[in-house]
Amino acid sequence: MTARITLLDEARIGLRSLIDRVEDLAAPTLRLGVTGLSRAGKTVFTTALIHALIRGGRLPVFEAANAGRIASAELKPQPDDAVPRFSYEDHLAQIVEARRWPASTTRISELRLVIRYAPPRGGLRTLTLDLVDYPGEWLLDLPLLDMSFADFSRTSLALARDPARAILAAPFLAALAASQPSGPENETTARTLAAAFTQYLAACRGERVAMSLLPPGRFLMPGDLEGSPALTFAPLDLPGDAKPAAGSLAAMMERRFEAYKSAVVRPFFRDHFARLDRQIVLVDALSALNAGPAALADLERALDSILAAFRLGRNSLVSTLFRPRIERVLFAATKADHLHHTSHDRLEAILQRLVERALGRAKAEGALFDVAALSAVRATREASVTRGGQVLPAIVGTPEAGQEVAGHVFDGNEEVGVFPGDLPLVPDGLFEPGGGGFRGLASADGRDADFRFVRFRPPPGIGAGAPLPHIRLDRALQFLLGDRLA
Amino acid sequence: MAEQRGRRPEVFRLEDAGLTLAPAEALPEATPEDLAPIVPAPPRSRFGVTLGGLFWTALGGLVSLGTGLAVTRLVEDLFARAEWLGAVGLAFAGLFAVAVLALIAREALGLARLSSLDTLRARAADALITDDRPEAEGVARALIALAKENPRLARARGDLTTHLGAIIDGADLVRLTERTLMAPLDAQARAMVSDAAKRVSVVTAVSPRAAVDLFFVLYTAVTLTRRLAELYGGRPGFLGMIRLGRHVLSHLAVTGGMAAGDGLVQQILGHGIAARLSARLGEGVVNGLLTARLGLAAIAVTRPMPFAALPAPRLSDVAAGLIRKAEAEDAPQPGRRRAGGADGE
Repeated sequence: MTARITLLDEARIGLRSLIDRVEDLAAPTLRLGVTGLSRAGKTVFTTALIHALIRGGRLPVFEAANAGRIASAELKPQPDDAVPRFSYEDHLAQIVEARRWPASTTRISELRLVIRYAPPRGGLRTLTLDLVDYPGEWLLDLPLLDMSFADFSRTSLALARDPARAILAAPFLAALAASQPSGPENETTARTLAAAFTQYLAACRGERVAMSLLPPGRFLMPGDLEGSPALTFAPLDLPGDAKPAAGSLAAMMERRFEAYKSAVVRPFFRDHFARLDRQIVLVDALSALNAGPAALADLERALDSILAAFRLGRNSLVSTLFRPRIERVLFAATKADHLHHTSHDRLEAILQRLVERALGRAKAEGALFDVAALSAVRATREASVTRGGQVLPAIVGTPEAGQEVAGHVFDGNEEVGVFPGDLPLVPDGLFEPGGGGFRGLASADGRDADFRFVRFRPPPGIGAGAPLPHIRLDRALQFLLGDRLA
Repeated sequence: MAEQRGRRPEVFRLEDAGLTLAPAEALPEATPEDLAPIVPAPPRSRFGVTLGGLFWTALGGLVSLGTGLAVTRLVEDLFARAEWLGAVGLAFAGLFAVAVLALIAREALGLARLSSLDTLRARAADALITDDRPEAEGVARALIALAKENPRLARARGDLTTHLGAIIDGADLVRLTERTLMAPLDAQARAMVSDAAKRVSVVTAVSPRAAVDLFFVLYTAVTLTRRLAELYGGRPGFLGMIRLGRHVLSHLAVTGGMAAGDGLVQQILGHGIAARLSARLGEGVVNGLLTARLGLAAIAVTRPMPFAALPAPRLSDVAAGLIRKAEAEDAPQPGRRRAGGADGE
């Protein structure tokens, strides 16, 4: 993957990391990347993590906090002035006061936390923690660096013509059929095609289908690049690998694709991604299970290409200086509060199965890995329901307005108990090729789905000053930060 | 596939009759009184008769028969002399029987406690590997019950109790339990071993006869083991001490070889330096190191949890004072050299 990172980029990465290391000598710094595909819960996780460190909280498994060794943690101005600040205060207020989940991450943001802690042997030290929150979709762009426009067109059109997506892609495919790649370049055609392509990608994200592998990532979250030529292209039906004639539509699209790569993808890789020390990848496996086998297979593909982007492994002296690797990666199945805790092990097994290949690679490289089912802000309580002699493990919470189960639409105020269905003991059945593993909302009318994970609102009665309820956030903290605080 | 399908998703109203809410996470004010009592370890099934067992059983039977006969005779003789003498003898015999029974019961209890510590340790190790939450919770509850008698753990016990209701994985819960309950005990145990080692080395260095320090080393070893067992909640009786002693020695035999890397060099070095000063002092250091190592073995066999979250004490932790002392004595002080040599011989 990194073959196409240019030598110049490589040199800049090396120089940057050397500077980082020198700064480290003065003030030890840890760059923690928080990522995940959209709606995986990145913002909520980051908010809860900051809140837990600043306010303290019930973190029994996080040894440093439990032993009382963390003296203080406070927000400090971040090092990169050109990157937006993660607006922790707003997100927290929204969760706590409005009882709404924050809007999704559309861009990279950063926040710096300075933790004063006492090592077990005594004394008082400082660890600077830089949190980098970025959309996982951007990682899906990294493989594009290796692709030519022809390759990109071929793979993305093949995906669009896949039976699971063909219906959603129909308008785009029609627009594509109406265009002439070898015809003269035309801004209107380009914009029509790009708009249809974007719409198709957006449609793939709906709850009923929940697709994940949707490059190029910026089409869905353009940020300030919206409308720029670099985002106004679409894959075309190209006859072969032959160079398109100058002045043709294909040539124009190719130029823009290259511009996308150099203006969007490469800077992200160079300035942010290559500098991370630790990484947490949040995965919303439940949405994929909700939607059906096609979504799950898609999620698996997407995770695969995300994970291929990481430089994993234990750092040697040289690599520490010039090409730092990510030493620890935590895969977290978020929204574990949508399940009874007795099913968490099964959810972890599913996640493990999803990231299996990456796990093998990371182990070979010597990086540390963990898989956990967590919930950064726990929105539900647990209950058991006796029905016809069976005891069903259920969860109780307030579903978001508009959520629907078996014909019942919730108003956003009603508190109900939900039994989401049994996850299989062995996850392999879910991944049956051919999509026969289970039924999701995408099949038929969704009435006979095997699972129904309702989205819940944040719990009532939590205050900004009090610790937030969570599931295994402390375990995540222990894995990601524990060794640096020891 | 269809026959493997789980139960269907369903939605319930909170007013539904069958719905029981799980209790909210326990508040820090949980009372230690309502904690579960300790679960006695299941008796180990032993099949087959060993020669030793046969010997001891037969001997025990003969001795108790002999004692019974002798006591009966004695009481009969007393009755023959005078009625009241017989009554007094009978009363004493009754008291004796009661006392013996009580002693046996105490010993049995001590043994059961010891083996329950062993079982606990095995269960904790198991839960760590399998990441089994119910098993880990059982271990945590048993340890909380065990810690009930240690007033210094009141706070730790309360803290841990509040975490039992939270969603924590099995292995994490075992580690949390270890960190919460064992850390204060470990520190105390370390201090005990270190003190005992220092005491032994000093007594050896100044004792006039080899027999005295031999006796003292033995005595210290026994008391140290007993105190460690008591610290970790064992309270062994006499028979328990014998078993514990055998445990410690066998553990020492196993780990002695492994520890050779870090320990032996230091021992020889320490001895060498000290011995140049004085043979007695060198012997003192060696005896101290022996005691320290014995203490470590005793910690390993009496601690009801394996060392997972906390570092196991190493010889250098408990014998540091000893070696440092020897090195300090060794510091070039020409004037003292001769004096040191003279005092030892």
